[in-house]
Amino acid sequence: MMKGRNLPLNQRGLNFEMLMWYFTRLSALAMYVLVLVAVIGALLMGARTQMNLADVLRWAFMPNSIHVQSTNVPDLAPWATTFWKVSGSLMLLLAASHGVHGVVVVLDDYFAQKWVRQLVRALSILFLVPMSIIGLYVLWTS
Amino acid sequence: MQVTLKIFRFNPEKDRKFHYETYTLEAEPTERVLDLLERVKGYHDGTFTFRRSCAHGVCGSDAMRINGRNRLACKTLVQDVGERITIEPLLGLRVIKDLVVDMEPFFENYRKVLPYFINESPLPEDGRERLQSPEERARFDDTTKCILCAACTTSCPSFWASDDYLGPAALVAAHRFIFDSRDEAAAQRLQIVAETSGLARCHTVFNCTMACPREIQITKAIGELKMATITGKLD
Repeated sequence: MMKGRNLPLNQRGLNFEMLMWYFTRLSALAMYVLVLVAVIGALLMGARTQMNLADVLRWAFMPNSIHVQSTNVPDLAPWATTFWKVSGSLMLLLAASHGVHGVVVVLDDYFAQKWVRQLVRALSILFLVPMSIIGLYVLWTS
Repeated sequence: MQVTLKIFRFNPEKDRKFHYETYTLEAEPTERVLDLLERVKGYHDGTFTFRRSCAHGVCGSDAMRINGRNRLACKTLVQDVGERITIEPLLGLRVIKDLVVDMEPFFENYRKVLPYFINESPLPEDGRERLQSPEERARFDDTTKCILCAACTTSCPSFWASDDYLGPAALVAAHRFIFDSRDEAAAQRLQIVAETSGLARCHTVFNCTMACPREIQITKAIGELKMATITGKLD
């Protein structure tokens, strides 16, 4: 019989690198869910007849009422609820961090020197934080 | 049958750059590529250099690229690769001469994962071996088959990009000891393989699994290490 061998949490090597590895996989799954919710929501609220494919995709990836202002949707109120703002914010934060971390991983293949890798990480954070803040500002003030 | 061998050649004492030389040989379809290489060295050009030892797929010395794929020359039959065969050294390691590459970066990464049994506990009272059930032994059986030929590591794009990536072979060695119920250094090894140039740099390309001449399920083993870092389960 095999006896259970388990390591306590602090001995598993679960460092930032591995956490980001898991985050990248799980955030991809979460984004699929958010896209499905947004597309189904858009269809229920009139996209079937009043939006073209580009509008539906914009809604899927950034569910925000300003994305339907230029379409023929007569009533913007259902689009501008807290639910969609939260959903949009989640999509923004997950997509931005998932994408930027992906770029960092790819660039690691091109820069083996430790200081260059550190620089890439610092630049990626410098890019990620302001872009996320600007995105959140647009989402919550529109 | 007549076989055309196109072989990567580089002599650091004469050449500034590598080149290819072509040899045409008579061969049986059931002959091994290693036999053809021996014939080239014996009858065509004695300066042709390559590694080989046991010639039976156990020592792992003669890993090389055969028609673009990492294989052991001693386990590859002519009939499996056709009449036109291109032979090149392993990728991602410095070529010393012809098919001989500098294996030191490979072994340096291998040494990092502490590839040896660690158990500081006192021996069993009867003074005999530390017992293990067949199930416990089976847990890491696949990764005991590694012969350190480097076919996996040198087929991995992450290793091509950076020498400091531990590489599939080192991770296989880590798996072999981490999941051994008698070993006591699993936590230490998991810390090592979870570092920046370890597990997270495996992008599940599966080149290693396809290249392994021992058919070790390497990507699966690396996946089990990744899971161990989050669940802590070692059985």
